[in-house]
Amino acid sequence: MSEQQSAAPDQYIHIVDDDEALRDSLVWLLESSGHRVRSYESAEAFLADFNLAMTGCLVLDVRMPGMSGLELFEELRRRHCSLPVIFITGHGDVPMAVSAVKKGAVDFIEKPFSERDMLDLIAECLAAEQASRGRRQLEAETVRRLTQLTQREREVLDLIIAGKLNKQIADVLGISIKTVEVHRARVMEKMEANSLAELVQNVLAADVGQGR
Amino acid sequence: MPHFSDSGRFGQARWYWTAPYVAVGIFALTMLALVWLLQARDVETQRNAVARDVQWAEQTMRLHMQATEEFLGQAARDLAADALNLDGFQVRANQYIANNGELVNIVWVGPEEVVRWSAPFDTTDWLQGDPLSANQTEAFYRARDLGRAAYGEAYMNPRNRMVLEVYVPVRHGREFLGAIVGVYSIDRMVRHLVPSWFDEKYRLTLLGANGDTLAANSGVRAIDESVSYSIALDPPGNGLTLRATAFRTASQLPQMLPTAMIVGLSVIVLWTLWLLRTHVQRRVQVEKERDRLFNLSLDLLCIVGLDGVFRRANPAFERILGCSPDDLPGRPLLDIVHADDVPFAVDQLRRLADGQPVSFEIRCRGVDGSFKWLDWSINPVREEKLVYAVAHDITGRKAAEEALRAETTFRKAMEESVITGMRAIDLTGRIIYVNSAFCRMVGFEQEELLGSKPPFPYWPPEDLEQCWQNLDLTLQGRAPVSGFEMRVRRKNGERLDARFYLSPLIDSTGTQVGWMASATDITEPKRIRAALESAHERFEAVIDGLDAAVFVADARTDEILFANRAFKSIHGFDAVGRTVRGVAVPQPERGDYPVDPRGLTPADLPRELFDGELQNPLSGRWYHVREHATRWVDGRVVRMGIATDVTERKQTAEVSRQQAERLQRTSRLITMGEMASTLAHELNQPLSAIANYCMGCVTRIQGGNARDEDLLSAMQKASFQAERAGKIIRRIREFVKKSEPRRGAVQISEVLDDAIGFAEIDARRMSSRIVSEVAPDLPPVFADRIMIEQVVLNLVKNGIDAMSDLPAEHRVLVVRARALGPRAVEVAVIDRGHGIGEEERSRLFTPFYTTKTEGMGMGLNICRSIIEFHDGRLIVDDNPEGGTIFSFTLPTEIASERAAVRRA
Repeated sequence: MSEQQSAAPDQYIHIVDDDEALRDSLVWLLESSGHRVRSYESAEAFLADFNLAMTGCLVLDVRMPGMSGLELFEELRRRHCSLPVIFITGHGDVPMAVSAVKKGAVDFIEKPFSERDMLDLIAECLAAEQASRGRRQLEAETVRRLTQLTQREREVLDLIIAGKLNKQIADVLGISIKTVEVHRARVMEKMEANSLAELVQNVLAADVGQGR
Repeated sequence: MPHFSDSGRFGQARWYWTAPYVAVGIFALTMLALVWLLQARDVETQRNAVARDVQWAEQTMRLHMQATEEFLGQAARDLAADALNLDGFQVRANQYIANNGELVNIVWVGPEEVVRWSAPFDTTDWLQGDPLSANQTEAFYRARDLGRAAYGEAYMNPRNRMVLEVYVPVRHGREFLGAIVGVYSIDRMVRHLVPSWFDEKYRLTLLGANGDTLAANSGVRAIDESVSYSIALDPPGNGLTLRATAFRTASQLPQMLPTAMIVGLSVIVLWTLWLLRTHVQRRVQVEKERDRLFNLSLDLLCIVGLDGVFRRANPAFERILGCSPDDLPGRPLLDIVHADDVPFAVDQLRRLADGQPVSFEIRCRGVDGSFKWLDWSINPVREEKLVYAVAHDITGRKAAEEALRAETTFRKAMEESVITGMRAIDLTGRIIYVNSAFCRMVGFEQEELLGSKPPFPYWPPEDLEQCWQNLDLTLQGRAPVSGFEMRVRRKNGERLDARFYLSPLIDSTGTQVGWMASATDITEPKRIRAALESAHERFEAVIDGLDAAVFVADARTDEILFANRAFKSIHGFDAVGRTVRGVAVPQPERGDYPVDPRGLTPADLPRELFDGELQNPLSGRWYHVREHATRWVDGRVVRMGIATDVTERKQTAEVSRQQAERLQRTSRLITMGEMASTLAHELNQPLSAIANYCMGCVTRIQGGNARDEDLLSAMQKASFQAERAGKIIRRIREFVKKSEPRRGAVQISEVLDDAIGFAEIDARRMSSRIVSEVAPDLPPVFADRIMIEQVVLNLVKNGIDAMSDLPAEHRVLVVRARALGPRAVEVAVIDRGHGIGEEERSRLFTPFYTTKTEGMGMGLNICRSIIEFHDGRLIVDDNPEGGTIFSFTLPTEIASERAAVRRA
């Protein structure tokens, strides 16, 4: 399964399971497949280590003494952690796991599970996480660039996104077309956009991402 | 002001008292000494004067005697010169004797010791021719030998006169011509040689050599021996001594006077002192008595300034108020006065300041905060600006007064509030007292009744005769104890019924002074009696209306005293008068009672005797029977029983008990399911781990990056997990072992009834029907009832579930039980469901195999285990009519006994 070598070297798989044998064997399995793994014996131990800069994905046991996997999941969502989460369930925990998926976990896997299913699921998660991380970075970058615009440039940008032509923009703002073009060129430059389509897409994505 | 005294002060006082005595004594002694000293000095002075005077006298005498010697020498010389004849001698001698009285004779004695001449001429002592006596010759010769005058011894001459002779030798050349002798009369020497004033002062004596008095100038007057002086008389030189002794002077008495006066005055002073002391002692005694009176007084005594501040207080303050009398001085009197009484006390103190004696009663506060009533009597002494106060503790009296007042008030109130009318008549029948209740009763005022004589105004005219008769009986003392019932006419004409009770009225001396009647209005009691009767009727109606059977029976004889309608309708209408035992069924046995009701006494009451449910063996109905021992209206101990028909209630209870039992079984099943779930979860852990380790190894080996030591460790861990799984399995086995069944003889029909009853809940939910086909007279099986019940329940539920797809009318499940010979019973559960395929059937008893969404896959497996444990078999067959037949066999009790015997 060497082709399964994960794409990003900075991604970790965080395993939280109270059963030492299962945790250790899972670490063994995943490391055998070339993943970076960190394991925690309880939800509390994980939370102690947790920060928002974590990457990769989470593998949680649903049933744990103390804070359960489900509770940990909810706590992470409360902290705006968007890491994908895979639940491991035992016999009879299925309804619990289903409700977790409904709340936004990627998937669950029932014990005893096949290693193939597990590895596929993890690969899926890591890819998704990487993609969403790139998206979030672009959004953050766009937001940062937006702050560099002047008031007038921002007004021009809003009108561009609204699909207005230069002439219409000039009319609305009461400035000359020439001036609009100058502003427009500066907006493109500041936003580091190669095309109008990219500019609009980025700004809209950022607006959505920032909850505007 | 009187002062306190104690023994120490008394001792000091006594000491002080001796001081004046001692002082007076010392003064007297000093004075006496002084006087003595003065007198001694006086005597000394006197003695000196005597010495001087005596020396002077001696000198005078000596001069005289020398002059005489001179004269005699001249005569001797003249004689020797022969210039003197007898006559001349006579003339000269006589003349000289006449001038010098001390000389009595002058004589010329010849050398032959014979008197030649003698003068005076008339002398008889010395006669011419007389020889010298022996004692005269010694001086005669001494004069001859010495050649000058020599004195002889003084001696008593024959004329009884003490004389002294002086011999002057007469020489003519060497020729001794005898001697001229001068004879002194010693007596005259003393008288004539000293001046007369000497006689006034002293007694002058001449003493001989041996100390005897030769002559004295006077002998009549008293002499003072202490004042005397002696001096040797020389020239005689032969032991004559001149001695002068002062006369006792007239100043002797004045000398004693100072001493006498000193002694006298001292005595007077001492006497005065003694008088004074006696007086003071009397005073002290009086003061002591006053102090004692002050200190021992049970009443409070104190001296207070007009400013209201204590000056002095007696110890009674401590006893009554608890404040030390030493603390009080300086504190204002108002300090101890009750706050409410302060203005009053101030008022009284103001009156005191005006000089009026006051007497008042106030409350004073003790140290412990309690208050005492004190009766103060205070007298002011204005000139001293003091008041003398006496306070008497009248707390007790006050309390008594208060109690008496309260008692009187209470009695008065009682008298007024009592609703019994009281009327007293004297022995003549005259009313002397009525209370307000009596006035209210008859409607007359007290004044109208007091003093009235029979017939009394409240006697009704129609009953006068009866009233007179009653009064006569009363006055004769023959009134009945139960009293008279009398009709009374009120002032407004109304009539009322009253009962009079009479008793003799005895005064404090024990004499009867009249009759006291208490009258009760019995109009109301009569009405109440009627009301009670109707209440009783109502009560009986209620009791009779009860569904419960109520009876009251004598505890001793068991005789029924009362029974309500329900009791009578159950046990016969003639129940009252018969015994409970004879009529009532059911009833508790004697042994059911905690005590034998027949032995109960009123002291044990009330007491619960029985509370339980009994079944009437005839009707089969259940009764809740309660029996109480209590006191009946006539004081007898009775049993009171209430029997309520609880048949319906009991049936309901039975149903709910069964339901509870079923619930318990359900929960047992659920527990089993949970246990299976937990075991599954636990097994999952090691199994997953093993899989992971193995697949990890596989992955690495395939990837070619396997290191032996990594793989080894993983494989070791995997095998360890396999062991762990093994342990879990062992635990399951132990759990099963722990729930070892308890087998016994069981009626299979009962087991089936129970299981079906329980399953019917499910069946109703699924709209299914359960038909029970149990052969009669099945032999009991040897089994664990609960376990078999579970097996049946499980099979029945499976069957019902299997039929869920069928139309409701076809959902019929048959439970059949029949005997397979004498040694086994077969139970079959027959459903009409979807049946079981060939492949399914092979996996039917595999653990955790299930076709159901909610199932665990443990049921049939466990069922088979249970049946096999019971030496039976669980078989599955297709139902020829469609569906499945699950059947199992169980050994009968007989079979198992044989098996047991065989095994033994």
